[in-house]
Amino acid sequence: MKSNSVAVALGALGIVFIIVAVLYALGVLQLFASTTSGPHYKHAILFAVLAVASFVGANFARPKTV
Amino acid sequence: MGLLQGASELFPVSSLGHAVLVPSLLHWSFRQSDPSFVPFLVMLHLGTAIALLILYRDQWVQIIRAFFAAAIRGQMRDDNERLAMLLLVGTIPAAVLGVFLESRIKALFASPYEAAGFLVLNGLLMLGFEQLRRRREGGASRQEQESRFGQAERISFRAAAIVGACQSLAFLPGISRSGITIGGGLLAGLRHEEAARFSFLLATPVILGAGIVEVPQLFSRGVPVGEYVTAAVLSGVAAYFSARFLLRYFRSGRLDPYGWYCIVAGLASLALLHFNV
Repeated sequence: MKSNSVAVALGALGIVFIIVAVLYALGVLQLFASTTSGPHYKHAILFAVLAVASFVGANFARPKTV
Repeated sequence: MGLLQGASELFPVSSLGHAVLVPSLLHWSFRQSDPSFVPFLVMLHLGTAIALLILYRDQWVQIIRAFFAAAIRGQMRDDNERLAMLLLVGTIPAAVLGVFLESRIKALFASPYEAAGFLVLNGLLMLGFEQLRRRREGGASRQEQESRFGQAERISFRAAAIVGACQSLAFLPGISRSGITIGGGLLAGLRHEEAARFSFLLATPVILGAGIVEVPQLFSRGVPVGEYVTAAVLSGVAAYFSARFLLRYFRSGRLDPYGWYCIVAGLASLALLHFNV
């Protein structure tokens, strides 16, 4: 599925995941966490990985010029 | 516990199920409700993950290089690049479900009775996977039967995601991560040995990631670090030799013996727990 719009959407999703990862790492975001205070590094790492996966997906979806 | 965990983590017999059942059956003073129990298990898992990294060290170097090459290029050009992307796709569902559900599921099903029940279910699943596989096999010898199936690099991305998500079932004590993923690999058309290799490669990032995150918390809780590290080393040694044995075994072997073992061990454990032996 190669199209610029898919690539842009995945890139935007990656940025959102980075923001969420930072918020978890700083302890600002407590959503779905086992404790209600402090940083949640496990969640932060997960969202960082999801961000990487989104950017990789965006690069794969980007139409290539030969 | 280290030796038990290391050996049972990679065998399709559920390490978590054994970690819950064996101390209870042998009346070891090991409380699963203790806050240090899960981090202790994670420490043992870390030993297992390091053993797997050592076993596949050359392959991991190739996979990591291939990942960056394919990610930057935005195209996969060889089997290593495809395998790297398959592992990424397979790891994400397990990681997402693990982070959000693992502690809740483990807390719900932490009793030895439930572990024994799930162990029986795990055995039935192993036998079921092999039964479904046999329907697709032809040929007289095991070598001929296996030659019809493919390598880990040939699995589809959808199948990799499903096999990866199935890893999360291993949060249920008694359900084996390697058993589920090997079974999934078999259904996706992999040879037994390749299904085992894919299962071990797929398990490594999740186990390693969970371990690295949990270990600092373990050290801050004032637990006997020396004993925990010794247990992790023993777990790693046992895992290394288990993996080597299993890869050799699955060249011609099947999941059935482990399935029967789980059923017998689960039923025996239920009986022993019921009669409080």
